[in-house]
Amino acid sequence: MCIPDKNIYKPYLATIESVVDETPDIRTLRLVFQDEAVRDSFTFRAGQFAEYSAFGFGESTFCIASAPTRSGYIECCFRAVGRVTEALRRLEVGETVGVRGPYGNSFPIEQFFGRNLVFVAGGIALPPLRTLIWQCLDWRDRFGDITIVYGARTESDLVYKHELAEWQGRGDVRLVKTVDPGGNGPNWDGQVGFVPTVLEQAAPSAENTIALVCGPPVMIKFTLPVLEKLGFADEAIYTTLENRMKCGLGKCGRCNVGNVYVCKDGPVFTAAQVKAMPQEF
Amino acid sequence: MAKTLSLDNLHRLVDALLQEGVRVVGPKRTGTLTVYAPLTRGEELELNELPRRSAKETFFPPCETILSFEKRDGRTTVSDPDLDRLPETVLIGVRPCDAAAPGILDAVFSWDYDDPFFLERRKRTTIIGIACTSSDDACFCTAVGLTPDARQGSDLFLVPVEGGGFAVEALDAKGSALKERHAALFTAGGNTVPLPLAEPKVEPLDLEKIRAWLDGNFEHPLWKEIADRCAGCGACAFLCPACHCFDIVDEGGEGSGCRRKHWDACGFGKFTMHASAHNPRDVQPQRYRNRIMHKFKYYRDKFGQTLCTGCGRCIRWCPVGIDIKAVLDEINKKS
Amino acid sequence: MTQGQQTESTPLVDPACYAAATAAIRAEAVRLLEAGEVTAVVGYRAGRRAGSAMPEVATTAEAAAQLIFTPGCQNNLALFLSKAKREALPKGKVAVVVKGCDLRALAGLIGESQLKRDEVHVIGVACPGVYGAGADLAKPLAAESLARKCRECKVHLPEGTDVVAGTLPPLPDLAPLEAEELARLEAMTPQERWAFWTEQFARCIRCLACRQVCPFCFCTQCLCDRNRPQAVDTSPRPAGNTAWHIVRAMHLAGRCAGCAECERVCPMDIPLNLLNRKMAQELFELYGFETTMQPQEQGALTSYRDGDDQSFIK
Repeated sequence: MCIPDKNIYKPYLATIESVVDETPDIRTLRLVFQDEAVRDSFTFRAGQFAEYSAFGFGESTFCIASAPTRSGYIECCFRAVGRVTEALRRLEVGETVGVRGPYGNSFPIEQFFGRNLVFVAGGIALPPLRTLIWQCLDWRDRFGDITIVYGARTESDLVYKHELAEWQGRGDVRLVKTVDPGGNGPNWDGQVGFVPTVLEQAAPSAENTIALVCGPPVMIKFTLPVLEKLGFADEAIYTTLENRMKCGLGKCGRCNVGNVYVCKDGPVFTAAQVKAMPQEF
Repeated sequence: MAKTLSLDNLHRLVDALLQEGVRVVGPKRTGTLTVYAPLTRGEELELNELPRRSAKETFFPPCETILSFEKRDGRTTVSDPDLDRLPETVLIGVRPCDAAAPGILDAVFSWDYDDPFFLERRKRTTIIGIACTSSDDACFCTAVGLTPDARQGSDLFLVPVEGGGFAVEALDAKGSALKERHAALFTAGGNTVPLPLAEPKVEPLDLEKIRAWLDGNFEHPLWKEIADRCAGCGACAFLCPACHCFDIVDEGGEGSGCRRKHWDACGFGKFTMHASAHNPRDVQPQRYRNRIMHKFKYYRDKFGQTLCTGCGRCIRWCPVGIDIKAVLDEINKKS
Repeated sequence: MTQGQQTESTPLVDPACYAAATAAIRAEAVRLLEAGEVTAVVGYRAGRRAGSAMPEVATTAEAAAQLIFTPGCQNNLALFLSKAKREALPKGKVAVVVKGCDLRALAGLIGESQLKRDEVHVIGVACPGVYGAGADLAKPLAAESLARKCRECKVHLPEGTDVVAGTLPPLPDLAPLEAEELARLEAMTPQERWAFWTEQFARCIRCLACRQVCPFCFCTQCLCDRNRPQAVDTSPRPAGNTAWHIVRAMHLAGRCAGCAECERVCPMDIPLNLLNRKMAQELFELYGFETTMQPQEQGALTSYRDGDDQSFIK
């Protein structure tokens, strides 16, 4: 990936091509780089993140949520909770955002070839896995069984609803979707229960399997013991950390967990790596 | 033969550089305090006092514009400052604790991604260091591997000598070039007996042992003991020659404005707070621990250097009297 | 209380008076902790450097026996009773060592319902004065190293505390430098005054030490940290700096107890207490309001009386 500019803080300009409201407060933007050369040369790996700017308001950090195998655009998905995300949310199709990246490490997808994959996600944390899920589906024959366990508080809190339906309809993916007790409507066709419980019931085999887990801290906390019980080694479990960042370049000094800079050494870590860090995230 | 430079000629050197269009920055008295500031003539140079803020701002200013943006007729354009127009600078009268710091910071500003704002200024700046002949009980350079006459970071070095004036030593090509360009101001010979150095009277520290102790004591009652009193301001970080944390903010309006990088501090409560209000460093002792860890462990782990030069500013100006040297002494005793 | 001729650098008072206050504080602090009357005593302990002191939250009799009172005891410990620093204290009743100026802040916090009087055991200290910012702590306290606020102090002897440590020695009369400086500023034209403050604020590096040591800056969400909308620019530049210091001064009007900690801790030597003092002066002239060593139910700007000056409504 080229950094065409000497000014590492200068973003590329991108146009909002489409907007999808995933939930009442979570939005997906599909972005197309304005500079044709950037559009052609921009590549990234699943798991990497970028800094997205709403000019006049600042930058915010999210993963690149689209698949590296789909070129010509990138997508990001965010909840409007702060100054920048609210400003991004106010932008309309055709308007300009800034994008710096891609930054950070990525899922070592080559090491997953020939193995079964279990994706476990909660709420707004599906996007960092969705990029990888689509890449794996685009390269379907390189992987064994693929299981996706995804849950949210309520039906309306599930993101990528159309894609969930698509995955459900495919014969080569096992999708287990769930909502918290009380979050289900009359037509809900998934499970009811918290992600760790539903994962335990789904009981994917740990044999030759990689688990990829993204979710709120409390979900991760209760999911890791379940995976352990199912026989997953800490080295076979991957997750991403989402610390507050500003530069994304390992300089501004705020995303570190111990001596690990999430922006450069992460955001993708194995459970073994996370357990070795000071518990300050 | 060793060269010497009289104080008058040092002032003339500043004047000559200014005349050439070089920006000269040095300790200067402004109102009640001395700070590193652009000089307008040699006589403004104030060598008897350690400036209140460190020399890092010559390379890493408190605030700088990293780009500007404008929205017009539905189009957004972004332009960035022309770094080629950064002036050639001579930073003069820099004590060893300040001179060493920019070189230590090169590591973080150049790993993988080169921060051009810092590095371009580094490239264009010549540092004239000066041996230190006055210290106070907050100074502790000798405990962190420096000395009052450490050459580290200087391109040209001045040692105050008996009878006034300085013995001059060029340490690299930049320093030699400057000396050659103004050869007439430097005298061959003269008294080169150095004035007594200001050796801080402090307990030595074993930085490797301290690093090892920090490695095993992320959780320790010491952090609460020391830092419950921490008021959570940024005075220590902002005066520090080596603290490099910054924030990036957009200022101005939606229609046009600037994106700026400005000093930030890990002591601030909001430093690591997520938009969701989750805060990995929720209480002050966690923030102070990060400060010590960053300086004496993380930076050593990553870059093999200590992020502290013992200038003592954080000790002199901590509103609640936290003394980093006392903290290190305590850890040194434990390890 | 006037002593004869006094030059700026002769010792201000007999150091024995600090030693006596120290002994009294220790005795009281040890007694309180041993009797279980309090869970902690917030006082001062000596620092590594000669003459230095720092806040200490003593929770054992051993720690209490190390408490001191010296001219280096500059901090206003009422800060620890404010919401912002409360997390540093154990639960239960605590004791706090206060100078007269600090007591005014404590009374203000009680007045603002930040704590109740019976939640705190107040150890007042008869205070001849403390060092100003940047003073050489190794030298005895002298007029030249005395904090500017102390030259005009009217509360050397705290009132209404549970106990008073030490006795007050005779004190010299000193020129009221701060009042003189304020008068100098007041005599300026508005343009000159604006130029003065513009220059002062330009130096601000936004370390926020002024905010962090202020007992009254206890807002959970400081206006200056808010970014929706961004009320005050956070970068250290003239516009944001000026806005910050004006917001600070206005928000403290009628509350500031005059401890001048904001000014002492400013690493850029911005004379912030001149702003606070000017506000206090205005409030006295307009509403007869003064901060005192006793909690007041309502501040000048949180109460309304029929006779209040309304001339500013135009």
